[in-house]
Amino acid sequence: MERFDAAVIGGGLLGCFAARELSRRKLDIALLEAREDVCTGISRANTAVVYPGYDHEPGTLKAEMTVRANAAFDRLCKELDVPFSRCGSLMLSFGPRADAVLRNKLQNGEANGVPGLRLLDAERVYAMEPGLAPGLRHALFSPTAGTVNPWQLGIAACENAVHNGVQLRLNTKVEALHRDAEGYLLETDRGSIRTRAVINCAGLAAHWVQELLFPPSVRIVPTAGDYLVLDKNSVGKPTHILEYEPEEKVKGLTVVPTVEGSLLLGPFERDNTLDYATTEGGLFWVREQASRLLPGLDLDGTIRSFAAVRPNPEQMDGRSIHSFCIEHPAERFWSLIGIKTPGLTCARELGQYVAAALARELHAEENKAFDPIRRAIPKAHVLSFDERRKLAAAEADYGEIICCCEDVTRAEVLEAIRRGACTVDGVKRRVGTGMGCCQGARCEQKIAALLSEALRMPESAVTKDGKGTERIYNGAC
Amino acid sequence: MEHVKLLIVGAGAAGLSAALSAWDAGCRDILLADRSAIPGGVLPQCIHRGFGLTAFGEELSGPEYTERLLAALAGTGVRLSLGTEVLSVSHDKAAVLSRRGCVSRVRFERLILASGCREKSIGALPVAGTRPAGIFTAGQAQEMINLRHQNPGREVLILGSGDLGMIMARRFSLEGKHVIAVLEQGETYGGMARNYHRCMEAYHIPLCCRMTVREIHGQGRISGVTAEHLDSGEREYIACDTLVTALGLIPERALVRELDASPWLSLAGNCCRVHDIVDSAASQAQRVGHEAGASLS
Repeated sequence: MERFDAAVIGGGLLGCFAARELSRRKLDIALLEAREDVCTGISRANTAVVYPGYDHEPGTLKAEMTVRANAAFDRLCKELDVPFSRCGSLMLSFGPRADAVLRNKLQNGEANGVPGLRLLDAERVYAMEPGLAPGLRHALFSPTAGTVNPWQLGIAACENAVHNGVQLRLNTKVEALHRDAEGYLLETDRGSIRTRAVINCAGLAAHWVQELLFPPSVRIVPTAGDYLVLDKNSVGKPTHILEYEPEEKVKGLTVVPTVEGSLLLGPFERDNTLDYATTEGGLFWVREQASRLLPGLDLDGTIRSFAAVRPNPEQMDGRSIHSFCIEHPAERFWSLIGIKTPGLTCARELGQYVAAALARELHAEENKAFDPIRRAIPKAHVLSFDERRKLAAAEADYGEIICCCEDVTRAEVLEAIRRGACTVDGVKRRVGTGMGCCQGARCEQKIAALLSEALRMPESAVTKDGKGTERIYNGAC
Repeated sequence: MEHVKLLIVGAGAAGLSAALSAWDAGCRDILLADRSAIPGGVLPQCIHRGFGLTAFGEELSGPEYTERLLAALAGTGVRLSLGTEVLSVSHDKAAVLSRRGCVSRVRFERLILASGCREKSIGALPVAGTRPAGIFTAGQAQEMINLRHQNPGREVLILGSGDLGMIMARRFSLEGKHVIAVLEQGETYGGMARNYHRCMEAYHIPLCCRMTVREIHGQGRISGVTAEHLDSGEREYIACDTLVTALGLIPERALVRELDASPWLSLAGNCCRVHDIVDSAASQAQRVGHEAGASLS
């Protein structure tokens, strides 16, 4: 039986960071993921905003952690070699109710220590975002807000964790948990694992994992959100994150110019559902809100719609939990249950928090060999001509373009596969293939062929996104 | 830095035709670049007949049409560079080319863009639902069946009755698959009458006009769609394991998006405007090629 000091259950953004932060200590660590790849659940669909920290009440863990995480984000993304755009955000008010909300957020933000927050008058805002609809009153400008690609960040953290000795176990689903004097016994569909400690980061299943061993204490009520993505070449794109604060007390539209250059619009929120299917009403709402807020935005540039699901934690009696729900039901067992916004912003801080707590319980020593640096897959399209010429001369695959919309080379695709991509979407998450205007129509075939060749599997076994999504029809449905 | 008089981007029917005409007009320094490993653009995967009635006076298949153009090209000194992506074109009349092992900059005097079109994807439509496997553009399905000998699916619903949609309806039927229907938003089929008769009627494939897809169902693989009758607003569930989208073609001009109209830049074939038949794309490209070639001879 395999033995570890700590097992992290769930290879999403949080699990990857928990494992990475744990690997700063001298511990044998396993990261268990039920699916074929990391970051395939909640982490793959998100508003992608790194929040400045004015949304939370002063003195709360969320407020304190968000402000700290935001300030450290440049350094984190530099360590992990992940693109981060500190584009700033504008929270937009068109009426008296929203004005009051903005003032309240400004106050919160100042009390939380958010740097650079300013309430701007309309003239100033139109100068920054000329495409905004008329009638604007004020905007709360937050220069420290930014955007990052959530799955790229998670995958980078995972790679760095593995680089620092974490054992990644994919296709390994935890089915039962036992506790004894020695620690915990995890029964998985790939055999049993002994561990002294557990960090449960199982996302939408985190409460179930905890309930394998402990009485229910928190439940997850999922909400879904519908989003649209506009191509990077769409006309009328804003340059800041826009958060529209409507006069009605509903959640307004958020507009995010992503690090890839595309524009993300959404979410239309739907309560109490686990459904990843977008709704007509939701897509209509997003389109309508977008054209009202940005009349010049060309929605013909729409290339994709998708739904995200977030886990909202509730007490068993139905009261909602506003703080981060970090559970500690027994010694050396920690759970992150129902971590939603600002979970992306605080992913590293949350990982650090549970890792530090666990390290104390395990009396773990510092891992002096810990290396925080991870190098991304070199991207040809960001290079200068000369750099690109030299790279292609040295490595022929860097000259061959596989995804022509996003300019991704064969070398990048092969490196993505070498680093763990085993599906068409796994390649997409690592190197951005298929994210452009043709949405993979022109490159999917080539990527499937490369996966088949590199992983020595028949092309008929290549999937879009894991089991059951075979690209070639096999009659199994 | 390499220098050519005429750079042509895209070696489909338009690019090949433009190159031949430019050569005939006297230009002796032509580079024809195409991203694909085989020339002909979309023609090699169009194995049905119906091409070349105007240009060659007979009905050819796509591969045959390509062979005719390549045979003519072999008698010229046009340099054909396959597997070559043109990454960018700049105002100073230079292009960056990328192929296996080589990224280079090429100076040119004239540029003909013959990059064809791309297919509109389902993501561009406000269609709700899941994003399962089993959804292909018509061109993707055509490539899978005709060039890769792969099976995209068995119970096939086709959205869009342009020529490509109807041709793929027949193609699936010939493969022994069940084409449930071709859905069309308009009052009648979108493509040419001859394709309707040859591809739809002859194979008894139902054309459902004034209908569209509103929602996609299925976890893993597509299991069906919610379709709407646009006039009555009535909806129905149609079970399928494959959805083929023929939503129309968008002229592919990404390469020259940031360039203003320049006297040295011409558009040939479908990237200029979408032509119904190859012959007319080719003949427009010939005119463009001739003009450019004559100016450079």
